[in-house]
Amino acid sequence: MQQQTSNTTESLLELTVDRVVEDPNTDTWILVLSRTDGRTELLTIWIGAAEGESIRRALDTLVTPRPMSHDLIKSFGEHFGVKTEQVVLTNVKSSTYFATVYLESNGVARAIDARPSDAIALALRCRAPIYVTQDVWDRRGGQNLNAWLSKLAPKNIGTQEV
Amino acid sequence: MITQMQVKGLMFDPYNNAYIVILRDEDQSEMLPIWVGKSEASSISLALESVAPPRPMTHDFMKEYLNAANAKVISVVITDLNENTYYAKIHLTYEDSEYTVDSRPSDAIALALRSQAPIFANESVIRKQISEELDQWLENLKPEDFGKLDS
Repeated sequence: MQQQTSNTTESLLELTVDRVVEDPNTDTWILVLSRTDGRTELLTIWIGAAEGESIRRALDTLVTPRPMSHDLIKSFGEHFGVKTEQVVLTNVKSSTYFATVYLESNGVARAIDARPSDAIALALRCRAPIYVTQDVWDRRGGQNLNAWLSKLAPKNIGTQEV
Repeated sequence: MITQMQVKGLMFDPYNNAYIVILRDEDQSEMLPIWVGKSEASSISLALESVAPPRPMTHDFMKEYLNAANAKVISVVITDLNENTYYAKIHLTYEDSEYTVDSRPSDAIALALRSQAPIFANESVIRKQISEELDQWLENLKPEDFGKLDS
């Protein structure tokens, strides 16, 4: 666990979840993030099926009969009064993205290492902002994927089970 | 009354295309199967085998979240079985107070295994389960149905 505070000196860009789509060829999902400043470039991250479904449910504000894993984490925070302050995509190594979740617990700031999928699934549920460092944004891959995504027929999107 | 249970293993249920976590009590007289999703089964399997994945999986993140908040899992209890849906409670301490949080048994078990916290089941849940033709179902399972979990 890192103990740094959220006052990072690096410049951060705010992101929003554009969509999450099922990769029809594999058991993975693709998380598509866009910038909130109106720039059209995208950041795409491959994530697991369960995490993809969890993000989809959060985007659709779908309530399941029983709390799912990320709902449970949110519930812990609500019980304790721990606030999820923000999520930052902090690094990318060999196409693996790293995220940090910043919490505020009893006046103390805490940072937790996480996969972007878990971090964003929680951020959406807690209405916490999502950021990427300028460095990670500049080193993002998947530019060919963006072209592929734009060619995906609409019928391929949004047909997955929730 | 509650009974302490141990996680005895995981198996694949080919009839429902789902995974089952097998809980047993200490003297092996009671058994409680719990149907769970694929990702939850995978998470429980990693914890049972003490495998540390290169990146934190969802329940590892959950554990780190609680660590960061200085919250501690005391125990989990499988409390109710209602129309094939199980209910569990996670008991925690945070800032010298006790909290009880509603969860699915799969999340509770995955978290308990990572927190070295005991797992309990209400006796009513075990009784109900036994009355639901479980023995017959188990007899119909073939040995090759066991151990098909891909983790």
